[in-house]
Amino acid sequence: MALRETFGSNLAAAERLSWTVRLRRYSGYLFVTPMLLYTIVMMAYPILSNLQTSLYDVDVATFRSGDAPFIGLENYRELLNNPAFTKAAALSLVFTSSSIFLQFSVGFALALFFNQKFPGNGILRAMLLLAWLLPAVVVGNIFRWMLDGDYGPLNYFLQSLGLLQEKQYWLLNPNTALLGVILANAWVGIPFNMLLLLAGLQNISPTLYEAASIDGANGWKRFRSITLPLMRPVALGILLLTFIYTFKVFDLIYVMTKGGPVDSTTVLPIYTFKLTFDFFRFGDGAAAATVLLLGLLCLAIGYSRLIRAEETA
Amino acid sequence: MMTQRRSFLRHRYSKTLIAALFVLVYLFPVYWMVATSLKSSGDIFATPPKLFPIPLNFTAYDTQVLHNPLLGSVFVNSIIISLGTLALTLLLAVPGAYGLARLKLRGSGLILLFMLIGQLLPSIVIAGPLFILFSRIGLLNSHFGLILADTTFTLPFSVIILRPFFLAVPSELEAAAKVDGCTQFGVLWRIVIPYVRPGLITVAAFALLIAWGEFVFALSLNPRTNQPVTVALNKFIGQYGTQWNNLMAVSTVVALPIVLIFASLQRFIVGGLTSGAVKE
Repeated sequence: MALRETFGSNLAAAERLSWTVRLRRYSGYLFVTPMLLYTIVMMAYPILSNLQTSLYDVDVATFRSGDAPFIGLENYRELLNNPAFTKAAALSLVFTSSSIFLQFSVGFALALFFNQKFPGNGILRAMLLLAWLLPAVVVGNIFRWMLDGDYGPLNYFLQSLGLLQEKQYWLLNPNTALLGVILANAWVGIPFNMLLLLAGLQNISPTLYEAASIDGANGWKRFRSITLPLMRPVALGILLLTFIYTFKVFDLIYVMTKGGPVDSTTVLPIYTFKLTFDFFRFGDGAAAATVLLLGLLCLAIGYSRLIRAEETA
Repeated sequence: MMTQRRSFLRHRYSKTLIAALFVLVYLFPVYWMVATSLKSSGDIFATPPKLFPIPLNFTAYDTQVLHNPLLGSVFVNSIIISLGTLALTLLLAVPGAYGLARLKLRGSGLILLFMLIGQLLPSIVIAGPLFILFSRIGLLNSHFGLILADTTFTLPFSVIILRPFFLAVPSELEAAAKVDGCTQFGVLWRIVIPYVRPGLITVAAFALLIAWGEFVFALSLNPRTNQPVTVALNKFIGQYGTQWNNLMAVSTVVALPIVLIFASLQRFIVGGLTSGAVKE
């Protein structure tokens, strides 16, 4: 009798406990629900809606009336056969790889320099970050003025060094406009690369360098056999990350050149924007956006794999 | 011994000097913006260019900033949009990151992966569909619409930054509070939030910086009214033509809040960047 009473009340208590535990676990979902709802409406839905739009012939008229005809993959076929799209994709690759080359190499050199101990190190390298934090519209304006053909300081500087004979209208000349935009973008990105690479350098244990010094390795040898191999995973991650960030740059280029002159700086994001918001060819724009996204998604998957491999290593 | 120490000292400061000179040259474009904004219309076209704006001329600020009603209204728009984005970001990201870090939810790895991908999403890809959606539900040209759109940048970033902070909160603290009768929400509010304050400041600073400088959504979703400073500045490019002093004065004023936020929260911003390795 007494036994059953004890047993029964314990059972009830255990049942109550498991019920509250379960309640608490589900109440946990309350915390993430607002974030999930937002993500679904504002990020997942647009991507899916984009996919849908890209299969319809949506222009100004059919957008208003809402009876755009379904045309399957016609928008994609048109897009891939359009030389303007191919050119935009090629320009994107040139813009991205040159920007990254400049950002990474200069950023790495700076990171090596700032990895030394000297007074004022922290504040000086933090100041560089201002270039990366300024609004792209402001940076674009500054560089339009820096690269101005008649009164820009760059032309004056190059001319007084004797490197330039005649005035160069950097952003008005289709042959140099992309170079000007790359320069501005590299200026923005170098401090960011430096900061991330520096964090990587500081993670290398100083005892490794000490041990190498004792073994008689000189500076170059230490750099080649300790710094470079240990920085490889960090560097790969940063390269991939900045590739994605650079590939989607729109604002800086739009402010500096609006994609011109004669489309010489119309990279994929600008091309996509023009289709949708200048020509109101929503279907074509959606197809271009989807192609852009697919390319980046492949890279993102590679990126997350890389991160995971690093974390488990 | 003495000479050795002196040469060592000189060496130390010589590195500081090199670094300072480099920073000076690197940030010359920023200086040139400010210098140009303080020149007269004649001085900006001087050959050779005048390195220093002497005599100082405040005409550009007087006419284009102080007595420019349009600039005042776009500033108010930008302040509303930035603060709104900050509020919405914290409202969604704080409980979200807490839930992902603390409560062992099923599928949290998947949510995190989605955040990581969301952070890499080009805004131009969602600007088109959002334009269609907003035009149907009447959110085009509104503050709220732009706040909703800008949060697509700040939310994934904030969740990724905040989660490790929540993970670092000792669970004994939370358990103790629960024993004392705190609810789950009470624990978050009274115990956890004060603990993760540095992370919150980082996230708040970035939300403000990103929303203030955002351009793509503003250009595509608010083409008529309620435009922020970035779109207004882009419009001035066409209007001002070669009045570079006016354009640089407005640029300087647009950049000023960023400089102020950066100067006051520099430690949190740099720390957040290296720990999260991210930006819009």
